Amino acid sequence: MISNYLKLAWRILSRRKFFTFISLFGISFTLGILMTTLSFLQSELGTNAPLSKKNDFIYMDFIALEKSFYDTLTIVDTVMKDGIAVYDTTYKYDEVGTATNQSEFNHNIIQEYLTDLSAAEEMTMFSSSNEYNVFVNGVKLSIDILLSDANYLKIFDHPILEGRVFDEQEVENGEQVIVIANKLAAEYFGRDKEVVGEEMFIDGKTYKVIGVFEHKGKIVPFVSPDAVSPYTTRDFSTVDNFYFDSFETMYVKKKGVDASILKEEIKARAANIPLDHPDNKYDYTEVVLKPKTYNEMYAQAIYYESEPEKSYGIMKWVLIGLMTFFTVLPTLNLINLNVSRILDRSSEIGVRKAFGAHDGNIIMQFIIENIVQTILGGLIGFLIAFGLIKIINSGGYLGSSVLTFNAKFFVYSIIVTLVFGILSGFLPAYKMSRLQIVKALKENKL
Amino acid sequence: MIKLNNIKKVYRTKTIETTALNNIDLHVPKGEFLSIMGPSGCGKSTLLNIIGLLDEPSGGNIIVDGKEVKNFNSKALAKFRNQKLGFIFQSFHLIPDLNVIDNVELPLLYRKISAKERRNLAANALESVGLANRKSHFPNQLSGGQKQRVAIARAIVGQPEIILADEPTGNLDSVMGDEVMAILSKLNKENNTTIIMVTHDERMAKKTHRLIRLYDGSQVA
Repeated sequence: MISNYLKLAWRILSRRKFFTFISLFGISFTLGILMTTLSFLQSELGTNAPLSKKNDFIYMDFIALEKSFYDTLTIVDTVMKDGIAVYDTTYKYDEVGTATNQSEFNHNIIQEYLTDLSAAEEMTMFSSSNEYNVFVNGVKLSIDILLSDANYLKIFDHPILEGRVFDEQEVENGEQVIVIANKLAAEYFGRDKEVVGEEMFIDGKTYKVIGVFEHKGKIVPFVSPDAVSPYTTRDFSTVDNFYFDSFETMYVKKKGVDASILKEEIKARAANIPLDHPDNKYDYTEVVLKPKTYNEMYAQAIYYESEPEKSYGIMKWVLIGLMTFFTVLPTLNLINLNVSRILDRSSEIGVRKAFGAHDGNIIMQFIIENIVQTILGGLIGFLIAFGLIKIINSGGYLGSSVLTFNAKFFVYSIIVTLVFGILSGFLPAYKMSRLQIVKALKENKL
Repeated sequence: MIKLNNIKKVYRTKTIETTALNNIDLHVPKGEFLSIMGPSGCGKSTLLNIIGLLDEPSGGNIIVDGKEVKNFNSKALAKFRNQKLGFIFQSFHLIPDLNVIDNVELPLLYRKISAKERRNLAANALESVGLANRKSHFPNQLSGGQKQRVAIARAIVGQPEIILADEPTGNLDSVMGDEVMAILSKLNKENNTTIIMVTHDERMAKKTHRLIRLYDGSQVA
């Protein structure tokens, strides 16, 4: 039966060329755009290397010192007293404003007050976006080096193509070793292989290359640096603030522990950070920490709300709304097209029912026809997405983000295609299956 | 074989009520070739549709092959139509996207029969109507007479006990009409198939065992 439906579907598509063209045009462009969007979301927010542990991440990019200002408020009102208007003055002591000073962490604050959390499996601290210009064969090369502890390359699992990552001892010794992206290796050495053991001269220092990792382009700078080196290679003599410098932290929560528990544990640590330090020149009264999940961080960067959870909530619904809108509109359009297509075949439905087809047979037949059509559209859409992704990547239209094709993307695309096919096919098929045989036969378009 | 008791069919709109069939009683024994005649709009096709379980009567009951069909749900009705009934329509109702043999196979799709067996049965049915050499043609490549012979092959491929033909020769010239009648008569004689045929053509009606006449929804002869 199914093979017969498939055969019929193919016949219908090949015999009704104009209709097939119109349908495939709409389906393939819709699915192509949806697939490209999926690829972007998958590349940026999927759990792929170097973000395999992303769902367990809790990130913190700043420490804030806050204080509130209080003053006496004078409120003057007019009231009637014995028939005469008189002033009524009240006084209130209340908050009139707040002051906040915030920046990335001094690494000592992280090491002293924000480590050994019971809800965290592991953590790393790093300083990103340290840009240095070097000249290779007279060509200027801008290198973004991320300075970190030994955990960074374990938590962010950049695939290591050659050599190794640095260890805690090397960090402690401040050894000038560097792990570089294959992209940088190609730019700096003219090859992306066999560069371990080579030396790089950056900002007056000589770094020894000990490993090469596969570069995965992401919008978030600390996820896809050009190179990673121990933070101890940096000169800290210019850091003159107890609280602030340029370090951020990423925690990986323990399995089975809710993110909110780790967040609360981190927030509670704020009370341990002293405020009676001379660097607290403006007498701030409170230390505030705002840990957030990776998705919350991403959402906050797009739509800022002081509470990251709120940013994420808004962005999530905006995204769901947009995806639904861009899926529902073409689905409705396809449903409409399908209704008129199937209506055109109402006498066929009448004949089939007269000869023994029941409603389920009719629904199945038209859904299979629609799925065949949608899969064809999906294949063309896949090619369109492939082309779009190539254009976006080669033109760098999404900054440093590199869109990718992978197995998950393929599976998601198939799911989207099938859902689209079933959704847009079911309603017309159901409607037509309910046609009365006599009415259907009277249409007589056969 | 077929018993209609007090069958009524009324079409209602908001303002008008039209009686299409009025208290029809009819008994068609197995193996009979019955023709129904009457002027246009007298209810012939409505009666045939009700006998074929394609339409529901407004009143009365139908017993086909000893079974009261009122109690059937839509799935059971579909199964009954598939196994017991075959239809031939005036305007053929062949599916243009299917070739001849696929059109003939259609009733067998809704039975549990292998693809190979379906093919064989359809080929035999086509051979019996003299169209074995037109298997791969599409309906638009056939003459009117050939189309109706394909429609007959489709009606008989599942070896139904009853064939309902709604003006099967109405769109054909007299030669082709005679050919179609010859096939139907042969089916009736050789296979003892019960045939009920609606026709406008007195000459064709005379070739059947019995003729009933309808006028304004009532049986008059």
